[in-house]
Amino acid sequence: MLILQTLLLGPMHGHGIARHIQRTSDEVLQVEHGSLYPALQRLDRQGWITAKWEDTERGRPMKFYRLTAAGRKQLIVEESKWKQLARAIAQVMRPA
Amino acid sequence: MWSWRRRSRERDLEREIQAHLDWEADEQIGRGLPPDEARYAAHRAFGNPTSIREICREGWGWTSLETVIQDLRYAWRMPRKNAGATAMAVLALSVGIGVNTAVFTAFNAVALRPIQAAHPQQLVNIHRTEPDDPSAERFSYPDYLYYRDHSQSFSGLIAATGDSLALRAAPAARRVTSLPGRISSLVGFQFPRQLSGSAEFVAGLFVPENYFLVLGISAVRGRTFLPGQEQDFRNHPAILLSYSFWQRRFSADPGLVGSTLNLNGVVCTVIGITPKDFMGTWVNVPDIWLPMASQPLVQQGFDLLRRPEVNCCRLNGRLKPGIALEQAQAEMSVLAEQLRAKHAAGLKNGGPFTILLTRGSPFGWRPQPQVMATVMLIMGAVALVLLIACANVAGLQLARSAARQREIGIRLSLGAGRRRLVRQLLTESAMVAIIAGGLGLLFTWWTLRLLVVTVADSLPTEWGTLALQVDPDLRVFAYVLLISLAAGVLFGLAPALEASKPNLTSALKDEGASIGGGPGRSRLRDLLVGSQVAVCLFLLIAAGLLVRGSSRALRIDPGFETRHILGLDVEVPPGLGYSAAKAATLKRQIIERLSSLPGVRSVTAGHPPLTGGLRTASVSRDGQRLMVNGRGMAFYYRYAAPNYFDTLGIPIVEGRLFTPEEAEAKTPVAIVSEATARRLWPGRDPLGQRFLLDAIERFSGEVYPAALTVQLIGVAKDIRSVSLAQVDTSAVYLPKPPDQIGDSVLVRTEGEPGASMVEVAREIQTIDSNLVVYAQPLGNLLTGNPAFVFSRLAAIFSTGIGLLGLLLASVGIFGMVSYAVVQRTHEVGVRMALGAGKGDVVRLIIRQSLRPVGSGVAVGLAAAAAASRILSALLFGLNSLDTISFVGVPAFLLAVALLASYLPARRAAPVDPMVALRYE
Repeated sequence: MLILQTLLLGPMHGHGIARHIQRTSDEVLQVEHGSLYPALQRLDRQGWITAKWEDTERGRPMKFYRLTAAGRKQLIVEESKWKQLARAIAQVMRPA
Repeated sequence: MWSWRRRSRERDLEREIQAHLDWEADEQIGRGLPPDEARYAAHRAFGNPTSIREICREGWGWTSLETVIQDLRYAWRMPRKNAGATAMAVLALSVGIGVNTAVFTAFNAVALRPIQAAHPQQLVNIHRTEPDDPSAERFSYPDYLYYRDHSQSFSGLIAATGDSLALRAAPAARRVTSLPGRISSLVGFQFPRQLSGSAEFVAGLFVPENYFLVLGISAVRGRTFLPGQEQDFRNHPAILLSYSFWQRRFSADPGLVGSTLNLNGVVCTVIGITPKDFMGTWVNVPDIWLPMASQPLVQQGFDLLRRPEVNCCRLNGRLKPGIALEQAQAEMSVLAEQLRAKHAAGLKNGGPFTILLTRGSPFGWRPQPQVMATVMLIMGAVALVLLIACANVAGLQLARSAARQREIGIRLSLGAGRRRLVRQLLTESAMVAIIAGGLGLLFTWWTLRLLVVTVADSLPTEWGTLALQVDPDLRVFAYVLLISLAAGVLFGLAPALEASKPNLTSALKDEGASIGGGPGRSRLRDLLVGSQVAVCLFLLIAAGLLVRGSSRALRIDPGFETRHILGLDVEVPPGLGYSAAKAATLKRQIIERLSSLPGVRSVTAGHPPLTGGLRTASVSRDGQRLMVNGRGMAFYYRYAAPNYFDTLGIPIVEGRLFTPEEAEAKTPVAIVSEATARRLWPGRDPLGQRFLLDAIERFSGEVYPAALTVQLIGVAKDIRSVSLAQVDTSAVYLPKPPDQIGDSVLVRTEGEPGASMVEVAREIQTIDSNLVVYAQPLGNLLTGNPAFVFSRLAAIFSTGIGLLGLLLASVGIFGMVSYAVVQRTHEVGVRMALGAGKGDVVRLIIRQSLRPVGSGVAVGLAAAAAASRILSALLFGLNSLDTISFVGVPAFLLAVALLASYLPARRAAPVDPMVALRYE
């Protein structure tokens, strides 16, 4: 879900996505960069993102990922599920 | 084995990871780290690239080809981790598959064999069936000519008739034939031995001149018969030798083609050699092929070419292209009707019959029910063994998968679909199965080759050569592959399904004991154990029944002496020029000389009972012919010399025997059996009664009663001379004129008949060494009949198979039960920690382990009881339940299971409960 959300902002390569998640979560979510890749592969397989090698300003070609229309829909679905879960937990934790 | 797609994905990922690392390294350098440290930091931030790659790879193999390949590689790796158990599984399965394949190959080679010819699918067998004589299926030669000349559906019509011929002046005739081989003596089957003779009998086949042309077969040396040569062959017979006969008897002498052989006193020129193992339309390989045109010359006084009533020939035809079987059949039926009108109405061929065409095969179209039953039995038995082997392996798979729960749990949690996992596990099973299939195939070839060689060696040469093609063909390969895969799916599916149940959390915690190994929670394992027990039990009991049945058949008392009688077959080889009178004198001399030998009690001229050659006659009493179903009731009769009854030990219960004077004078007297007397004169004294005998079968050259009125002078005890299965329904004995000595002589000895053979041989040779004499103890004759041999073979085979099944089942049960108990070690600890006594826990475990075995026994016994009912109806000499099998085998299997559960339970019990608990 987090990957999809990140890509909402625009196409990005794997390294960029990892950095973005780390930064935006105020360094709370420390993720091993490499562990993103299986997830990226899975999302690609499901058809929610597409990938393409492109050149960067640094001169190194990197594989960029983009959100697809299906991916956008999936993001909405996942977000609502997450909100449901969060609400449920909050209700349990509410002081009696 | 890697697909290009996979390779490109690998490279792409590699490139991406490298790009990522470089990017991160650049950033670190930008922050001021030296290049080495930057790279190191990048790696650290990234994580372990190898495991990342692995996980990505796991997720990739979604295309079926990649899946299969990956499964295969995985399947190849996994079993090697557990080599011992896998080897056992493969071995068990290969035995099961091997045995099945062997039976199938043999069946294939024998039953499904087509005729050896060009385009065999065009060939048909032609039979005739009569309403009251289903065994009649041959045609006379003139009839064959009629069909050949008038039918339009065939491009060629051929016939064949076989007979034995006397071969003389070849390299010295053997005095004693080859001794029976191991297999035949195992079955209790002994062949007659040639005691004397200057000639040897060989198997000959008479065929029309177009035979080889129609079949499309050419000689491997010299040439075959050709149409248009009838004229030549009539006076100068030309013959072909079979390859094996040429090799065996003449050591493949190349000079033989073109030279001559003396057959039945006629000089025949050898013009060619037929291909190896060629048997044409016949069941076995004849030694010599002769043209039909030569038959009257070679078999003097027995001209088949001009006898429309002698049905000697088997007919085959080659359909013209485009003509269907049904068309040809219709045409033949029309021709048959026309032909029938030409025959005299009263005789056989003038009576009603139908023509039937079937696919070309060396065998007749109607297998006897006993043969079919035996074949079905054998195939059923081996299938059951395979089932046991599969259950065996399934159990092993189950046990193994229990140990792999952790690995399976990981794969499930990584997103592998259940179906994918099942497929993977099935691939493993399939791989094991295919390996086992390969081994089984090897096992089969070796066994079959051994058997064929042994059997071929033990058949005496007089029987021709039985050539079995047991080389594998496409059908056999396909069959083996099919059952291997079926077996793989069979034993792999259930454990795979069970193992892949998504119970992730406990799997990840490595609670191997709770899936597939838990107490009573594995229904599947219980089922496997129980079913193995049931099947094995069933198999063994059935085998036991068969063994008992056939040994019981041996003990049936036929009513006459069998243990001290030597049966002699005395034949004058044709071509010697002996007149009938001379032959009779020689035989009489033989009888006299043999009677005076010490150790010989009496000698009589007579045909041994239970060996066929039966003649029947209708009987009229008080002027009334006894009828049944509109035709004369058939009574069996035979001619018996005065000392026949004494020699065979048949008591006369009323009246007296024939006197030699009565036999000499051909006085019209008769002796009947008790059953016959009861039937003809119920409640009355039969002695002195008169009745009329009229023979039903009339063969020229034989003596038979034609409207003969006889007076009853004695009643003999009932015997079984027609079939061992039942007492004769009727028997009439007529006095045998002393000059009517047939080919058979029976010698009653004091001691073992086999011991007297040497003396008998010597005496006969001093009288005339040209006479060909075969000898066989009478007991052997009885066990030598096909029905008996079949039931014996079936018994031996099924016992072997049954024991094999027992071995497999025992091993399987032992393995599964002990494994299950080992898995429950922690339970022992728990229970003991909770205060249970050691003995109680052990007893509980044993009891629970034995439960599936017990239910298996119950099911097996029920099935076996049902089977014994069916079997007794089909096979000979079976009845009642056999205690040894019904009690012994279950006891054995229970003992195995008991041992299997007791040993590990006992080992588990003294363990410190804490250790057991921690085992989890």
